[in-house]
Amino acid sequence: MIEPHILVKASGLTKTYWMGHVQTTVLRDVSLELRAGELALLMGPSGSGKTTLLCVLSGMLRPSAGDVELCGVPITRLAEKHAAEVRRENLGFIFQTYNLFPALTALDNVAEVLALKGMPLQAAQQRATEALTGVGMGDRLNHRPGELSGGERQRVAIARAMAGNPALVLGDEPTAALDRKTGLDVVRLLRDQVNERRGVLLVTHDIRLAQFADRVIEIDDGQIVADGAAHAFSSHDGSFAT
Amino acid sequence: MRRIAIRSLLFDRGKLIASLLGVALASTLGFVQVGLYRGFERSSSAVIDHVGGDLWAMPTGLEVIDYAQIVSVGPRNLLLSHPCVADVRAVLYGFALLQLASGQRSTALVVAVEPRAQWQIPWDVVVGDAADLDQPLRVSVDRTDLKKLELPQSAIGKNFEINSRQVTVAAMTEGIRSFTLSPYVFTSMTNARRLLGVGENEAMYYVIDLADKHCGPQLAAWMKRQPDIQLLESGVWSRKTEDYWVGGSGAGAALLFTAILGLFVGGVIVGQTLYSMTKEHLLELATLKALGARPWELARFVLWLVAFLAAAGVISGFSAALALKQVLLSAGLTVVVSPGTVGLSVLGTLLMCLMASITSLMTVYKVEAATVLR
Repeated sequence: MIEPHILVKASGLTKTYWMGHVQTTVLRDVSLELRAGELALLMGPSGSGKTTLLCVLSGMLRPSAGDVELCGVPITRLAEKHAAEVRRENLGFIFQTYNLFPALTALDNVAEVLALKGMPLQAAQQRATEALTGVGMGDRLNHRPGELSGGERQRVAIARAMAGNPALVLGDEPTAALDRKTGLDVVRLLRDQVNERRGVLLVTHDIRLAQFADRVIEIDDGQIVADGAAHAFSSHDGSFAT
Repeated sequence: MRRIAIRSLLFDRGKLIASLLGVALASTLGFVQVGLYRGFERSSSAVIDHVGGDLWAMPTGLEVIDYAQIVSVGPRNLLLSHPCVADVRAVLYGFALLQLASGQRSTALVVAVEPRAQWQIPWDVVVGDAADLDQPLRVSVDRTDLKKLELPQSAIGKNFEINSRQVTVAAMTEGIRSFTLSPYVFTSMTNARRLLGVGENEAMYYVIDLADKHCGPQLAAWMKRQPDIQLLESGVWSRKTEDYWVGGSGAGAALLFTAILGLFVGGVIVGQTLYSMTKEHLLELATLKALGARPWELARFVLWLVAFLAAAGVISGFSAALALKQVLLSAGLTVVVSPGTVGLSVLGTLLMCLMASITSLMTVYKVEAATVLR
């Protein structure tokens, strides 16, 4: 059996902040690996370090100690512009607030990001159309975000994240602003995007999403306290079966 | 990034209108003030520029054409004896007392130049014929001075009094105004001598046409034997007169101050709009950075906004300045629209927009990708 390739390999991550004279440690010796073909959930209470871990894993924040390899590239040692290159090539993002340009249509919101990555406009529009059609937005290509529902906006954001064919998609509470049914639809859609060359890591509070996940990682007080298969995770009490 | 920026700007109509008004106001002020400045310069040196010639001979120490003094025929004869000199024309130029029909007294600037085929004085004749000025006490006045001379719009054939002599209007020009506010009265040499009381062998200036354009310095050195006479190149003399009036009177500084004030106000409005738009889209821009956009790519968002506003400002400012030019001309003010004035105004507008974008550029440049996850 061929081992799925490792998308993220983090070892010994520590992140401390200085708030005035007070030092706050947000991540404590975190190590983890994410592989292609995996939909993983990163769960934990507010302030547990989930978002900081996401930032460090994506190279947007430098850890105080430890290393991150993103798609084989040790990004913690890279200059910001080179880390940006690695993100450009390998990452897609989905956010709670969608972060779409309000003046652009759904098509342009996706196509402009591809154009920014160097794709010719016509090809970018073609790819964006395919990506939007793939997430069920083929009939809403020319609608602006203000003309779309929350679920539709998130679909556009997913299409934007997927259109560049990234190896890893990171989501920060992508269902938090959506109603239950729409939220589950969105995660189902993300589940469909996972394949042997792509993985998804979602930060969430919503334990119901575990039914779509392969793996659940729990973090508390900056430390990984549990990491296991999603089927062993109880969506009733939010803990792993022992 | 161009499409994102322009569409974002067009999408927010309120901000678009506010910023367009700001940049158009500043740009219009820039065009008009620069045009007025150049207009003042041109009006102060108009006679020098239209009389032409390579060099002007005048009493030593003279700073401005309007303070003319009588020079005898001696220097003229000396000049004509030099092989470098092809031609010498006498210029009569002086203030004269104006007695108006209402009894009001003022001054006029009487001007006459020895005629040559290639130099038409006065220029821009719109009514009547300049050839009629050869008739006794016939003069040409400018349309914009008719009110000042208490003459009707159809002034041809009407009389007024200069130095106690009745003169008759035989021709009218358009747009020839003196910076001194005294109306120009153009006439023939014979008439001017009578009106100004200048003798047959006298003049205020001698304008020299050189046979060889390169021997000006040689001629100037040779003329040192006449220490009471100085030779100035036409361009230098023109610039000297402009500097004296526009620079020395403070008019130039006032125009410059207004132009800078306009650009400052416009800059504040544009700066506010740009900053507000940048802040509004910061999350989206941070998202692009998270997706791998480089800081300079994000900066292009602001630069395209600025480019659009600058272009819109230049077009609207130029259009407004052209419309105002006609309005101001009827008020006797000349707004020069030339490649030079347009270039300077465009440069001013561009600089204003760039300065206004600095804060926004810094904000965009410093935006952290991690912002999107906080």
